[in-house]
Amino acid sequence: MTDFMEQGILIGIIATGIRLAIPYLLAALGEMLTQRSGVFNLGLEGIMLMGAFFGFYVTFVTHSPMLGLLAAIVAGALMGLLMAFVSVTLQAEQGISGIGLSMLGWGLSGLFFRLYVGGIQTIEGLKPWKIPVLGNIPILGPMFFNHNIIAYFAFLLVPISWFVLFRTTWGLSVRAVGMTPQAVDTLGVSVTKMRYQCLIIGGMLAGLAGATLTVANTHMFADNITAGRGFIAIALVYFGRWSPWGILAGSLLFSMADSFQLWVQVLGINFPYELAVMLPYIVTIVALMISFGRVWPPAALGKPYERGVRG
Amino acid sequence: MKSTRKILSILLATVLALSLLITGCGGDQKPAAPKADAPKTQKLKIALVLPSTVDDMAWAQSMYEALKKLQSQSKDGIELAVSERMGKPVDAGAAIRQYATQGFDIIIAHGAQYQSVVKEIAPEFPKITFAYGTGFQSGPNIFAYDPQAQEGAYVMGVLAAKMSKSKIVGIVGPVEAGDAIKYNKGFQMGVAAAGGDVKTRIAYTGSFNEIVKAGEIAKTHMDAGADFLTGSSQQAVGAIKAVAGKPGTYWLSTDMDQSAVAPDAVLASQVYNWEKVLTKIMDLRKAGTVGGQHLTLSFADGMLDLKYNPKLEGKIPQDVKAAVEKAKKDIAAGTIKIDLSK
Repeated sequence: MTDFMEQGILIGIIATGIRLAIPYLLAALGEMLTQRSGVFNLGLEGIMLMGAFFGFYVTFVTHSPMLGLLAAIVAGALMGLLMAFVSVTLQAEQGISGIGLSMLGWGLSGLFFRLYVGGIQTIEGLKPWKIPVLGNIPILGPMFFNHNIIAYFAFLLVPISWFVLFRTTWGLSVRAVGMTPQAVDTLGVSVTKMRYQCLIIGGMLAGLAGATLTVANTHMFADNITAGRGFIAIALVYFGRWSPWGILAGSLLFSMADSFQLWVQVLGINFPYELAVMLPYIVTIVALMISFGRVWPPAALGKPYERGVRG
Repeated sequence: MKSTRKILSILLATVLALSLLITGCGGDQKPAAPKADAPKTQKLKIALVLPSTVDDMAWAQSMYEALKKLQSQSKDGIELAVSERMGKPVDAGAAIRQYATQGFDIIIAHGAQYQSVVKEIAPEFPKITFAYGTGFQSGPNIFAYDPQAQEGAYVMGVLAAKMSKSKIVGIVGPVEAGDAIKYNKGFQMGVAAAGGDVKTRIAYTGSFNEIVKAGEIAKTHMDAGADFLTGSSQQAVGAIKAVAGKPGTYWLSTDMDQSAVAPDAVLASQVYNWEKVLTKIMDLRKAGTVGGQHLTLSFADGMLDLKYNPKLEGKIPQDVKAAVEKAKKDIAAGTIKIDLSK
C-alpha cells in the first residue's frame, strides 16, 4: 500500500514537473535563438501575455484550440517583429525597449480581454493526448507519455534547435551574427535580416509558451496570467548557457523542484511553506554556482549593429 | 544617423507612455471622466483603488459590483472612479493622494496592504472619508472594514467534512497572511468540528495572482485524494477550473459567488454584502461621521452570507444542510466562537 502511494507521488511529481516546464522551455529556447543572434529580448513576458490572450480568445470564439495556438504564434511573431523594428532597425537600447514591450504586452492583453471578453470565461482547451502503446507502460506512461501536444513539441524542439543551430548554415550564420556581425556582414549575410528572423521565431515560441498557460493549462485567461514566467525564461537562457540542452536541464530542474515543493506542501510534510515556495529558485541558484567552466555569452549580445562602425 | 536616433527616442517614449497609460488606468476611462458642466446637485464622488481588476471574479469584482449597484440605485447620483492593478502600495498611495486632491468624498482602498498608505495620507485630508480593508485599525477619518472570513469558512468546513467521501479536503492558499489565515483557520476548525476524521491539507502558491500555480496545486490536491477544495484570493479561479475538470470533486468559494466559472463544481460560496457596508459608510458620512469605526461583516450583522449553487443544491443531503444551518446560527448567536489565535 505504501509502495503504491510512493509510486503515485513520484508519478505525480514528475508529470506535474513536466507540465510546468513547458512554457519555460518554449520561451527560453526562443530567447536563446534571439540572444544567439545578438539581441537581448527582455520583452518576453509581454509577448507571452499576448500569446496567452490570443490563444485563449481565438479558442473561445472558434472552439478550436489548434486555431488558438496558431493565433498565439502569429501574435508572438508580430510582437517579435515590433521588437526587431525597435531594436534592430531603430537601434534602440535593448533592455529599455524590452521592458517597454513587456509593459505593452501586459497592457494590451488586459485591455483586449476587457474589450472583447469582459470577464473570466472558460474554454474547453487542449486535452492531454496519451501516446498509443507508450502511454500504457506502467509508471513511465503517466509520467512522460500522457501530456498535451505542445509538451511533446517543446521537448522535440530541443534536439531540433540544437541541430539547426550547430549543424546548418543558417544556424552558423545566427551564431556568427551574435559573435562578430562585421565579419558576417563582409561575407554578404545581412545582419538585420538574421536578427529579424531570430526575433520573429523567438516571438512565435514565446507566444506559444503563453498560449500553453491559457489553452492547455488553465483553460482561461486573466490579467497578468504569466506572473513573471517570461523573466524566469530569460534567466534560464543564462542558466543553460545559450545551449538547448542546458536550457532543457534548467527548465526541468526548476520545474521539478517546483513540483516537488507543491507535493511536499500538499502531503502536509512539516516544512515552512515560505521556504518550500523558494525551493525552485534556491536549487537553480545553487546549481548555477556549483556548475563549473567559463561562460561565453554571444560577444555582440545587446549591441546594435551599424555598418561601418566598430562595435 | 542623428535623425534615426531622434525618431527612435520619440517612438520609445511613445511606446512607454502608451503602455503606462494602458496598464496604469485601465478602469478609469468609463465612469471617471468629469463632465464639463458641473451638475447642480451634489453628486457623491467615490474612488476605488484595487489590487487586481474589476473582473477578477473575486475580491475586487465583488466590491466593484456593489458600488455599481449602489450607483444605479442612488437618487443624487454617484460619480465613481476606479484604479486597477494597484498591487504595490506605493502605486496605490499615489492614486489615493491624487483622488484626495481632486476632491473625492470617499476613497476606498480595497486591500489589507493599503493600511499604512491610508494612515499616512488620511490626516492631510480630514474632510475626506477613507476606507480600507481587511483591517481593524480605524482613524478619525478612516473606516476599517473587516469581513469575518473565518465564519463562512467554518461553515463551509462543516459542509466539506460531512460530504467528503475520500475524507480529504484541500486548501489552495495564496500567502499565509491576513485574510488567508482567517479563512484557512476557520475552514480547518469547521472540518475538525464536524468530526469523522477528515484531513485538511494546505498548500500555498506564495502569491495572490498565480492562477496557473493555483490550478497546479488543485490538481496536486486531487491527485493526492482530496475531493473538496477551497481557497481565497483572486488566483482561486485557476483552481476552480482545475476542479471542474474532475467530476465528483467540488469547490467552495469565498469573496463572491464564483459558480459562473464552473457551474458543475462550485457547490457553495461565502458572499460579502458590500452594499450594506458601503451604505453604512455613506449614511454615517451624511450624519457627520467621516470615519473612526471598525466595521465588521459577519453572520450576526447580516453582511456575510452563505449561498448554495442552485444547480447543485439538490446534491447536499438534508442532514448536512441542517448541520450547516446550525453552525451558521451558532456562530451568529455567539455560541460557537472561532478562536483564531490557536
